[in-house]
Amino acid sequence: MLDSRPEVIARDSWVDVNKGTVDRRIFSDLAIYQQELKRIFARGWNFICHETQIAEPGRFFQSYIGEDQVIAVRDRSNTVQVLLNSCPHRGNTVCRSDQGKTRSFFCSYHGWNFDLDGKLVGVPGYEDYYREKLKKEDLGLAKAARVQSYKGFVFASLDPQAPDLEDYLGWVGMVGLNLIAEIGDMEVIDGIQKNRIQCNWKLAVDNLYDWYHPKVSHGSAVRAGMINEQGLQYMNQMVMLGEYGHGIGGAAITEENLAKLSDTLEKGQEPDQIDKAKVWRTTEKAANAMGPLGIRCGGHPNIFPNLWVSAAGPPQLCLRIPRGPFETELWWFTFAKKDQTPEERRATVMIANHIFGPSGLLEQDDGENWSHSTRGSVGAVTGERPIDFSMGLGQDKMTHDSESGQSCIETVVNEHAQLWLYRSWEEWMKAEDWPALIKNHSLPPTGKV
Amino acid sequence: MAKLQTMDTQSRMLLHFEVEQFLYQEAKILDERRFDEWLSLLTEDIHYWMPIRRTTTLAQVEDEFTKIGAMALFDDDINFLRMRVAKMASGNAWSEDPPSRTRHFVSNIQIVDIEEDGDIVVETNIHLYRTRLESVEDSWIGRRKDWLRRDGDNLKLARRHIFLEQTTILSQNLSNFF
Repeated sequence: MLDSRPEVIARDSWVDVNKGTVDRRIFSDLAIYQQELKRIFARGWNFICHETQIAEPGRFFQSYIGEDQVIAVRDRSNTVQVLLNSCPHRGNTVCRSDQGKTRSFFCSYHGWNFDLDGKLVGVPGYEDYYREKLKKEDLGLAKAARVQSYKGFVFASLDPQAPDLEDYLGWVGMVGLNLIAEIGDMEVIDGIQKNRIQCNWKLAVDNLYDWYHPKVSHGSAVRAGMINEQGLQYMNQMVMLGEYGHGIGGAAITEENLAKLSDTLEKGQEPDQIDKAKVWRTTEKAANAMGPLGIRCGGHPNIFPNLWVSAAGPPQLCLRIPRGPFETELWWFTFAKKDQTPEERRATVMIANHIFGPSGLLEQDDGENWSHSTRGSVGAVTGERPIDFSMGLGQDKMTHDSESGQSCIETVVNEHAQLWLYRSWEEWMKAEDWPALIKNHSLPPTGKV
Repeated sequence: MAKLQTMDTQSRMLLHFEVEQFLYQEAKILDERRFDEWLSLLTEDIHYWMPIRRTTTLAQVEDEFTKIGAMALFDDDINFLRMRVAKMASGNAWSEDPPSRTRHFVSNIQIVDIEEDGDIVVETNIHLYRTRLESVEDSWIGRRKDWLRRDGDNLKLARRHIFLEQTTILSQNLSNFF
């Protein structure tokens, strides 16, 4: 078994960036998992919900930062609050609904009552039992240390030292969110699909960059006619790596494709079905928001640690919420333009319901691959053998656009983004605090990668 | 409802028996993985739907299930159900190969209405037990509302709404029919 005392965690190395290998014990060790809750989830910026889910005062949505339960709620002054769902008296939850509308949060244990901004406003027996000796002002619901929105996406961090959200996201994270935000005025369609997979959360995350697996894992969806074979030809790949572990991997859209689409639109012609979904990319606003490389991004971004932006089909976000080293909860948020016609909305919902989510024709086949990869990290021998992320390592080149500061690797299917994820993960785990992480984290590589 | 109320007890018992035998036979076909045969029990205009359920307070319990047109766990027409069956027969549908071992239990059968067009509305409780590989074990319990339509001497399933008791689905996927 791994010696998991904090000093050993600080000393050991799990990711070999030269060989492209990862120590499998990081998927099964409990001390590592507990350290992740502190040093990754509590420290980082976590996606909580979209502002349209809590559009009016009193509307709330329950989410998680690691295993800490939080309530996102719009308070009476229209400010979005992210409150820890734990009564300061005994620790009981004060909100037990997944979502809804309320005037306050009431603890069902002793009746402490909290305003929408977390302030303790009601204590039964305050005069008679406490004899007015209770510091109510210190006993409100704890708040996330930092709450910020980027274009309607609400994020929170439990660490007061966290940098501003935009500094955290960097251009790679912002390109990721803009794949949804720049489509138009967006809202979340009612219904978050949630299910549990017996896997370590990191194996679910690294899979979103993995364009090697679809032909094999999801071959049955091709044979059934759900996706076409052409959609699985991934020779044209574009990888972007961002500070603090963000990344994007997947298909590139060519400049020629976008130029041709602009031309079609200028002539007043109707673009074909696939190009229709790219029309928003031809606007100046989108080009400015996305940058010259970002605008060609057709792949899968991950906002470190656990937010997948899936925008090749209907725009969706998937959170991978840890439930111990051996279990992960998947939450799917599906987005659409507010002004969609009923027919367009129907089409969005139909496609979204059929690709991902627990019954999705693609996603059905992922769970066992991830749970068995996790299970393999427990064996005395299998657990000691590292797993391999060396595809393309040392064979590709990072190109840099000096004017925008954006950079990318254009190549064939590869594992650069996965290795970047694990490399960054180790840096987060070793850093004592935000100042240390800011000082010691890797900058995305330049030149040969 | 009028049609159902005007039926005499004996006719209702005969109809109940016919409906019950249809549902038991369907469950057997599913457990024996005779999916092409299962498709033949469905009408061309079937809607097979399982909404998402969430925990709400009693005061907001009307928002417990998503509505038709919002996100769902199943939202299939006949073409999509055929696609699911084709996927399972493809030879590389890993979620069902090795196949899951399933057992459907259908109980508390109640005919609740006969609609103007003749569709028989049936509510049942359903328990689908699944185990696969060494130790995967799933158990889904819920309520079904089915619309059965007469087709010659047989009944066909014209609509199925499935309301599970779980909110967060506690399994790695939903790769079986309910």
